Amino acid sequence: MGRRIGEFLYRHHGLEGVLYALPFVSLWAVFLAWPVGYGIYISLFKWNPMLGSKFVGLANYAELFHSLRFWNAVANTFKFAGMTIPLIIGVGFVFALMVWGWGRTHRGAGIIQSVLFFPYLLTVSIVAIVWKWLFDRDFGLVQQGINAIFPSAPMLLNSTVWALPVIAIATAWWLSGYRMVVLQAGLEEIPRDLFEAAAIDGAKGHHQFFHIILPLIKPSLLFALVLTIISAFRTFGQVLMMTEGGPGRSTEVLALYMYWVGFDYFDVGKAAAAGVVLLFMILALTLAGVKLLGLRSELQ
Amino acid sequence: MNKVWKLSILVIGLLAVVGLQVFAASPIKITFNTLFHEADAQAMQKIIDNFNATHTDVQVELTQGGWTQYYAQMKLAVMAGNAPQLGICHANKLVEMADYLTPLDNSPVGNILQMAGFNPDDYVSANWKAGELNGHHYLIPLDTHGWGLWYNKDIFKAAGLDPNNPPQNLADFINACDKIKVAGYYAFHPAEDAAPRKLRRAWYVFYWQMGGQLFDKNYTHATFNNPKGLLALQFLVDIFHDFGWNKPGSNGYDQFAAGKLGMLVAGNWYYGTAVSSGVNWGYAPMPNFFGIPYTWGNSHQLAIPLQPKGTPKAVYLAAAEVIKYISEHSHIWTMYGGHITAYKSEATNPELLASDYWTKSGKWLNEMAQKGLVHFPINNPHGSELEQAIQAQIQLAVNGQITPQEALNKAEADCNKILQGK
Repeated sequence: MGRRIGEFLYRHHGLEGVLYALPFVSLWAVFLAWPVGYGIYISLFKWNPMLGSKFVGLANYAELFHSLRFWNAVANTFKFAGMTIPLIIGVGFVFALMVWGWGRTHRGAGIIQSVLFFPYLLTVSIVAIVWKWLFDRDFGLVQQGINAIFPSAPMLLNSTVWALPVIAIATAWWLSGYRMVVLQAGLEEIPRDLFEAAAIDGAKGHHQFFHIILPLIKPSLLFALVLTIISAFRTFGQVLMMTEGGPGRSTEVLALYMYWVGFDYFDVGKAAAAGVVLLFMILALTLAGVKLLGLRSELQ
Repeated sequence: MNKVWKLSILVIGLLAVVGLQVFAASPIKITFNTLFHEADAQAMQKIIDNFNATHTDVQVELTQGGWTQYYAQMKLAVMAGNAPQLGICHANKLVEMADYLTPLDNSPVGNILQMAGFNPDDYVSANWKAGELNGHHYLIPLDTHGWGLWYNKDIFKAAGLDPNNPPQNLADFINACDKIKVAGYYAFHPAEDAAPRKLRRAWYVFYWQMGGQLFDKNYTHATFNNPKGLLALQFLVDIFHDFGWNKPGSNGYDQFAAGKLGMLVAGNWYYGTAVSSGVNWGYAPMPNFFGIPYTWGNSHQLAIPLQPKGTPKAVYLAAAEVIKYISEHSHIWTMYGGHITAYKSEATNPELLASDYWTKSGKWLNEMAQKGLVHFPINNPHGSELEQAIQAQIQLAVNGQITPQEALNKAEADCNKILQGK
């Protein structure tokens, strides 16, 4: 029997690959492709199986595009992404360089790495509660410090100007550790002899950074960038817990808007439409990131 | 009798005994999903533990958790044909939830109210009526909960105020706040932790006290953008600005527990924190600021979510039995959960009346409820969306980022758009 199967697979050698891929493809289809497809499908309905769903075509999208609240959420999402993506990648990169550089000449890099990575192990609720406390008007260490220097400074989490940047900083603190690990792995891949050769040729540290490190770390940078774009655009928990989208609607990002519409107003079709818009936004930005880094080959 | 017969009788007898045991050991299982957390979750757990310990025919599996997605989860569970047999519904959510609940007087197995022997007279009338919609009855009242005035007796003494006579009218209230402020404390916080929905509720209280209505009777348009609404919002804003009684964005819960705040408007659920804070506190009904001393409140009610077709009558009756048991033991709910029972005879339970909770705060909330001064929130299918539209603007006004008039204009426009489906 086993021999027959072996012979069959030998004769149909393409099938063997399909069989290897089947477990992943099945899971991918059930847990990713089907939900995404179904999400797109229900975005075309006033969805309510209890009372009868009604096909409305693109009406949910039209409703969204005519809603000032939706555009406010889109704008907030872009503002938030504009702050968090450079912050997370930048801080993660600096951490990675620190740990990598320290590890070349000293012991104990693992301890530093663990400390810097630690926030990533926390859940979003803990991160949000800790940072909310730090910025509490009466008891928050950071807010008290700010008020000691600037007595008339507003409570930052209650300010339409500052609330979003504070959430962005909290998010960077939370997520930078993982980007550090990704980028550090990229740094470790760079052959040491390149640096030695460059040093012999008289290249200074900044030359080595721009002409060796940056070009060779691009694949890791792309991976970190894609992860960060996705994280930034679907940010939800920390906004819900730190400001509930306020003051007013100044921190209401798209994922939070979707949550209100879907789970609070139970307008599931409209929430699904917002989800589809978010999906395409993330997709477009990810592809833009790939193009920007000139790494088309990484996707092939 | 030959051996085969003897053996057959023995086997049949054994099977019968085992079968009976299996039958006897299979009580009806009722899944009860609530939105309670902290003290009220523990109180409900006590009641259900008592029920399970005293009943062999019905056993309840209790799951409790956060309230944020509770109603969406309940709707989805009903759609999936996997709803719990018992759930909770706030009185103001009935309009939104009715399609997902079993009408108790017209269920697939008949009139459960009659079959289980529910008597409307056993319950506080307003709470019972809150469970009716379009000629059907969906909910059995569990409680009334709401806001009252918590005050710090030591701060009152330090400010030269009588710690046994908290202010109950506007003039006394302003006088008390000014003295507390002079004594170096935050005078007053009107809205728990100042979350947007809490600020909205504070504005509701002031507005309702003036006799204001938020929407017209048929919910065609907002009716709060008027001099009363403006005065109520101006008062709320002034608390944080002109009067200097507190600062925008501050957390009244924490200020009070830290002994920095003279007076706090908060719900009965604050009792546990107040006790554990070590603050020498007192409790009073909501002061009469503007005419009718309304407070914000609501009512938890028990419901049987819509069950899949073919659910046996015994399951409905078992769920009703649990509801009755909870009602008849709801002094436990009040003592440990802090919400005032809606089952009249339980409100006079000697154990409850002698409890610390009742003597220190519960009786005042009960008094407000009995006098009809606990004002329930709006009851509309778009309730959540309307309230979010209001609170976004109230918060900006309280922060001083827009004027009260601008806030009302914007909130009115947003609410009207929602109501008119634009």
